[in-house]
Amino acid sequence: MQPPAPPKIAAIEVVAAQPTEADSAAIAQLSAETSRSLPQVAYVVKVRLKTKPPVTSMAWALYVNDVLIPKYWEYEDGIYFTVLDPQFFADHKGKRLRFSQNGVDFFDTGMRLAAPPAPAAASKSKAKAAKSSTGKAARLPLQADVLK
Amino acid sequence: MAGADTATLKNPALAGAVPFDTVIYGAPPLAYPVALSQYAIYNTPDPAYVTARINVSAFANLGFATPWPFLNTNVPLNGHVCVPRGRGPFPLAVFAHGNHNPFENSTPGYLYLCQLLASHGIIAATIDVNFLNGNNFGENDGRAIVHLEHLKQFRAWNNTATHPLHGKVDLNRILIVGHSRGGEGVGHASFFNRLPSVGGVTLDGSGPFFLGPYRFGLTAVAAIAPTDRQFTPVSGPTVVPDHYYIIHGSKDSDVSDFQGYHTYERAHVVDLANPTVSDGKFKAMLWVHKANHNQFNSIWASETPVGVAMPRASQEEVAKVHLGALAQAVLLDRAEYLDVLRDHGAAVAWDPAGTEFVSQYQDPARVFVEHNQEAPLAPPPVVSLPVQGTVAADGVVAARQLTALVAGLTTTITLRLAWNALGARLLLSVDPSTLPAERYKTLALRVGQSTEANNAANRDQDFTLEVSSGSHTAAIPASCLHRLLYPDLPPFGPAKIMMQTLRLPIERLVECGVEPTDLRSIALVFDRRATGTLYVGDLQWSN
Repeated sequence: MQPPAPPKIAAIEVVAAQPTEADSAAIAQLSAETSRSLPQVAYVVKVRLKTKPPVTSMAWALYVNDVLIPKYWEYEDGIYFTVLDPQFFADHKGKRLRFSQNGVDFFDTGMRLAAPPAPAAASKSKAKAAKSSTGKAARLPLQADVLK
Repeated sequence: MAGADTATLKNPALAGAVPFDTVIYGAPPLAYPVALSQYAIYNTPDPAYVTARINVSAFANLGFATPWPFLNTNVPLNGHVCVPRGRGPFPLAVFAHGNHNPFENSTPGYLYLCQLLASHGIIAATIDVNFLNGNNFGENDGRAIVHLEHLKQFRAWNNTATHPLHGKVDLNRILIVGHSRGGEGVGHASFFNRLPSVGGVTLDGSGPFFLGPYRFGLTAVAAIAPTDRQFTPVSGPTVVPDHYYIIHGSKDSDVSDFQGYHTYERAHVVDLANPTVSDGKFKAMLWVHKANHNQFNSIWASETPVGVAMPRASQEEVAKVHLGALAQAVLLDRAEYLDVLRDHGAAVAWDPAGTEFVSQYQDPARVFVEHNQEAPLAPPPVVSLPVQGTVAADGVVAARQLTALVAGLTTTITLRLAWNALGARLLLSVDPSTLPAERYKTLALRVGQSTEANNAANRDQDFTLEVSSGSHTAAIPASCLHRLLYPDLPPFGPAKIMMQTLRLPIERLVECGVEPTDLRSIALVFDRRATGTLYVGDLQWSN
């Protein structure tokens, strides 16, 4: 038998979306912890895979350089994770995406973390998807719509 | 080896005499699409077993590749439970599956174990966590929360005067069992169970998530082929605070690197500041040669080609014997079944013929003579405080090192012993006034061989254990206590070094004239194999 091979990434896209209720709670907590006012935005980082790996218990942990993405989720074309603090992009945009199963052996995907859309552009391009009526975040698309 | 002591015990894999009913519980109505039709069974639960939904959105998303008819804010509590007939109260065991294709319902895969336990008078359930399955990562805190919320459901039923389970659940005797990522999840559940909050989410039943409170009387936690550290709490890698049991197969081709060994190693470690103080919990490990990953779940297709792993029926039998023994011991107060945890040889008459195992057991009652965890990390080995003594190596290279016995981040220091001629020895001389050996029943240590060149392939290693008091010496070949198996090569990746716990009863030493109150030395004498490399840990007096 052969050990599993890491997935190959086809593309990276970052989309600004409305935070879920749980995201909002996390944003509030993060704001309190960092003494910074964070925007009510959830940046959805879509990692489109060339081929999805089989579903097993072992997982390919995703790293941006040496920083572990603590949670990611599956969508139709690959995996995605959300970023609630824009500082993450300031710190890590352009850095390598890597997979590892054990935190020791790493596989460089050849892809780099994309930057988030500029706030104005994000709002403008997604405005037509927004139906909600309250607040800045309401002009952003729902995560469910972003990931369809 | 053990075995004689358990001759009068019944095989714990055999069904008991208690009649039981199997019911489905669930949270209908849910419009499962055709692709998820396997879950439609939860839309028609027993009318008395209709459950609520829970909000796990603070811990997990569901992913968008599976068309679940619910959100992470209202996931169902679905499961199958085998309920013994009678007044009870009955202990409770709850199983959780791991990650798998979410279009196949993994939940019924442990009914074979639930039915066994129920027939012995244990309420046994297997729960639906399929909505967290898929190409997801880091969600094992969510699996833990789901597991605890199912326990909460059983507590609610137990406390509801009109419910069939009213007063029937012994909430002080609970075993949680998880397989694969569910096996990692039960470790987190054990940890979360004692916390007021996790990651800013309060676990007191209050909004907005309405999770908890828990504080269950968890008797033990069992992990079948678990992952490790896919989720890590902010406080650091989870340390399981309850009795911990782990079982894993050498042919596992999913969690092929035996990650759970690291969970095991973190549990119930020696406190260097108070080395004689124990947290009162045991841990035990069973390494099963030729077992793979998926065959512990009766639904999952084998992940290994035909002929690589043992037959499915044999693997399920191993699970029934050993998890059955655990349940008998910790849930039904049949302490004699702890012998199976202390030494897998006690189950030799019950296990499938020819099955090879490596097992470890750490009793909560112990005093270490040499645990090897002293800082700094450097040779040579030393006798561990508060025991006073010296260590001398003669013809054997002895080095304390962070050997990766299995792949991954290693935190336990192990003593590596290598020799190239007969007669080499490692001698620990101790001050008998500092070693209260007479308080204990057993001299124990764990020893394993590697695939290094000076170990003959596929041959058991061996040495002699010499224990002396004054002029009396007992010399016991290790092979009289247990086989030291050559590593079973995995389907891929490096071979693991699995240490076997050797337990030498003090009464056997006394028979040889050794006086426990005047114990002067313990030696590992390499007089049975001309060459070899062994890894040794946790030399101790224990029970």
